[in-house]
Amino acid sequence: MKEAHISLHDPIAALATPLGTSALAVIRISGDTCIEKLDSLFVSKAKLSASLPNSIIHGIIYNPDTKEQIDEVMVAVFRRPKSYTGEDAAEISCHGSIACVAKILEILRSAGFRDAGPGEFTLRAFTNGKMDLTQAEAVNEIIHAQSDKARLLAFHRLSGKLSRAINTLKMKLVDILATIEIMIDYPDEEYEHQHIAIETLTDIEKRLSALADTFRIGKTFQEGAIMAIAGKTNAGKSTLFNLLVKEERSIVSEYHGTTRDFIEEKIAIGGIPIRLYDTAGFRTGTDKELHPVESEGIRRSENLISSADIILYLVDASEGMTPDDNLYLESHRDNPRIIPVWNKTDIQKSSAPDCFISMSCETQEGLHEIEKTVSTVLLGNTKDISETVMIDSQRQKEIIDAAFAAVAQAKKQLKAHASYDLIAFDIREAVNHLGMLTGEVTTSDILNTMFDNFCVGK
Amino acid sequence: MDFDAIVIGGGHAGIEAAMALSRLQFRTLFITQSLDAIGRLSCNPAVGGLAKGNLVREIDALGGEMAHLIDKTMIQFRMLNKSKGPAVQAPRAQADKQQYSLLAKHTLESQKHLHLFQDTVTELLTNTTGTAATGVKTERGKKFCAKVVVVTTGTFMEGTIFIGPYSASSGRLGEPAAVGLGTHLRNLGFDVGRLKTGTPARVLRQSIDFNQTEEQAGDIVQLPFSFDYDAIDRPKVSCWITYTTANTHRIIRENISSSPLYSGKITGVGPRYCPSIEDKVMRFPDRERHQIFIEPEGLSTEEMYLNGISSSLPEEVQEQFLRSVPGLENIIITRPGYAVEYDYLNPVQLYPSLESKRLQNLFFAGQTNGTSGYEEAAAQGLMAGINASRKLMKKEPLVLSRTEAYIGVLIDDLVTLGTTEPYRLFTSRAEHRLSLRHDTAEMRLFEKAQDIGLKSKEAITRFQEKKQKIEEITELLQKRKVTRQDSERSQILEKHIGKQLAIVLRDPEITMETIAEIENSIAAVHPTLQKQIELDIKYEGYIKKQDEETQRVQRLERLSIPQEFDYDGIDGMSAESREKLKKILPVSVGQAARISGVRNSDISLIILYLTKKNKKT
Repeated sequence: MKEAHISLHDPIAALATPLGTSALAVIRISGDTCIEKLDSLFVSKAKLSASLPNSIIHGIIYNPDTKEQIDEVMVAVFRRPKSYTGEDAAEISCHGSIACVAKILEILRSAGFRDAGPGEFTLRAFTNGKMDLTQAEAVNEIIHAQSDKARLLAFHRLSGKLSRAINTLKMKLVDILATIEIMIDYPDEEYEHQHIAIETLTDIEKRLSALADTFRIGKTFQEGAIMAIAGKTNAGKSTLFNLLVKEERSIVSEYHGTTRDFIEEKIAIGGIPIRLYDTAGFRTGTDKELHPVESEGIRRSENLISSADIILYLVDASEGMTPDDNLYLESHRDNPRIIPVWNKTDIQKSSAPDCFISMSCETQEGLHEIEKTVSTVLLGNTKDISETVMIDSQRQKEIIDAAFAAVAQAKKQLKAHASYDLIAFDIREAVNHLGMLTGEVTTSDILNTMFDNFCVGK
Repeated sequence: MDFDAIVIGGGHAGIEAAMALSRLQFRTLFITQSLDAIGRLSCNPAVGGLAKGNLVREIDALGGEMAHLIDKTMIQFRMLNKSKGPAVQAPRAQADKQQYSLLAKHTLESQKHLHLFQDTVTELLTNTTGTAATGVKTERGKKFCAKVVVVTTGTFMEGTIFIGPYSASSGRLGEPAAVGLGTHLRNLGFDVGRLKTGTPARVLRQSIDFNQTEEQAGDIVQLPFSFDYDAIDRPKVSCWITYTTANTHRIIRENISSSPLYSGKITGVGPRYCPSIEDKVMRFPDRERHQIFIEPEGLSTEEMYLNGISSSLPEEVQEQFLRSVPGLENIIITRPGYAVEYDYLNPVQLYPSLESKRLQNLFFAGQTNGTSGYEEAAAQGLMAGINASRKLMKKEPLVLSRTEAYIGVLIDDLVTLGTTEPYRLFTSRAEHRLSLRHDTAEMRLFEKAQDIGLKSKEAITRFQEKKQKIEEITELLQKRKVTRQDSERSQILEKHIGKQLAIVLRDPEITMETIAEIENSIAAVHPTLQKQIELDIKYEGYIKKQDEETQRVQRLERLSIPQEFDYDGIDGMSAESREKLKKILPVSVGQAARISGVRNSDISLIILYLTKKNKKT
């Protein structure tokens, strides 16, 4: 049976300002019990649910499980029907960093909020009679986008490849479901004991998980990555930095510790926007007193390196591996984010140790390999991005994650020899989730599959 | 006014409709073409099965008759799907056809306020404005007036049967069709279509070599369908299984052009889930054999029913292919298989109460609405009877939701989606089947029937005692914890020491039998009830998962759309949605949202208009 996918009152949340770094960001929430739900994440002198409508309350958003404070915010409280949507609603003004916004949205989700679809606040405003009919036509387009999403998830937003990929998985699940349903609804017939291949479920599980992973890739393209160049002082970091930036941005000298603070520049590798940092080199020597400014620079660089998505670790080939290099590389042996580079091969013709990329800033030999490796580390082993099926929204990822969880549960039940009514329940759930992406599967679709594949009827 | 109500048709739907109306003390006229053909099992000699067994139990919980009839006439009982999960288990019983029919007739005859009459209805009488039904006119020219009319004509409306080149105007072999009424309904403007169904040959028991077949015995323990009985004891006979052969398939293929299904004589659509042997052979050429169940037609007859092999091939071809089946080499056919084509009313012309939209006070139920199956028919008959009585009492109709009963699923599917092939209920049609177990039908529905007035004092007392018992046990299970002494009596409980029994029962390895070993007050409870409580606990987690979804559905279900709602007056609604909504006239936003092809944005528009309107008033 076709289910009504429209839900018009459950609590939803979304960022109302553009995603990016700014002084402030506003997250909007709306729906039944949304203010009470927010209260459970909010510390302040006054309870939001006890506050007057249209008032602004100062407080702190925190994670009730870990007690971690997330951000100091101002919350504007609105009570139905006097709000934009006509429901209870609130606007959370928080600090405008991407990390902070993401954390708040995440905590809202775990408190029972759903990510609002595009135009969903407007849709609610519309259905709650907050807009008059002359405005309706203008809103209609948004509603259409919304409804298509709910029913067919905007086929136009899904690439043909993605919808084909999801449909294939969905049909595999429908086949399994039909097999179970035949066994259930035709108990006496020759199909009474069909084999349900656990391998098929494993395969579907793998594909779903791979698909969910592509969200990270999509995000990498959208939001970019942080890359730091690290290594001992005078390993040639700034030279490589300038080479990657393609201008003389960092001061280069033969003196150790020329770069005392990190320097930042935006570049692109293989289409991925990258914030590239040149860092102060490590120097632990006790022979010379380090300038206090330099040691502060080193500390800051270390912080940066630990939070970078990718690190080019340079070793001076003319000096060879120093104990510091050994120590660093040994302690990060299994970290795929670190790319060791054997630099200055034009000076010293020794061959690079295993896993190192040979690089000469002079001849630019190795530059291409560095770029290739960087994009492999960031995107995984996807051969050609243009050939990869990718998802590009949080909503798609959530749906695929939910489908994955349902398939995993079905598999677990199958392994545990649970009864078919329960296994069917989980598979049906997986099918319904995928149906939210590419068009729902109705009972008649399942019946069609049953009677096309099996000859039954007494 | 001659009567309060008239029920046309003496099949499973007619019986329930007539019983419900007369039990509620409405003077009811029951007209059928033959009083000797009441409650016939025209096809297979069995009642129940997957989803259908649940229907029978729901009918019983709602005060219907079918469960009593089968409980008193069954000759074999089986609980199906014992290994596939409690939520999809269902009872099925072989019936003694003659006894069943006789008992149905006698039950009707003994019912107060019910008048049986043999005649054929050819026309409906309407009021002068043509907006409401007021009675019926019969073949013999008699007129009867009533405030409500229920039509349950089954396969008889303009029915034609086919056997090879032979065809005749009949509803069942040897019984004349009801000619005139279908045409009359068409003239009144109803959308009437043609469907087809079929039945296999009946054969003589002595002509079967059972040595070449497999025996399929029933369960040792027979359980009643009706919640009124704790136990039953009926004769137990076996069924038998054999298979078609390559030779059977060759004979059918060679003669396929003489099948009216393939020669183009039959235009009506047949059921895909119960295909004729011709269809099985032609559509699945790779199958080496098809199963045939040999089922007794009753205790007082030697006729046997060949389930799974319905056919409308010429009689000599039927004999030829049957004789290619092991065990049937010397078969003697007593009645040939045949196909029947009949008029049905597109059920989207009905409200969820089963009242017609076109003519007030006129209700339709059963195979006439495009369904197949005795149980589907009876369920609709009961609901039509109940709602006709509600109409007479000027009360709101009883509409069951998809989340509370298979009957809700059945009727909602019919009136919302319509049907183009004979509709059969499957458990897979119910989104909430885990909550629709057959054993919980009484808990789900009894009180509704009680409110309507269909339950006797004794039944109410019995139900309340049972309900109280369940509450007591449930409370006990929640309070009582497993002790060390318990684990000494039953080792399996060792890992659960200190836990409440209700939690312990969630362990798939622990059943109520184990609990009964350590808790005497549970051991004293009827095993059926023990099992019911156990399953409620075991499925709790899954049911909760469904609940959120259920609530969402129900919120939309509660938003009702008035029948005079002006779809043309809504700006911006798509033409397709508008057309479908105007045809189906959904009673709620929930129903509107389930109509195929209606856009969700248009649903939002309806909600907007409804809320605007509410604000004004």
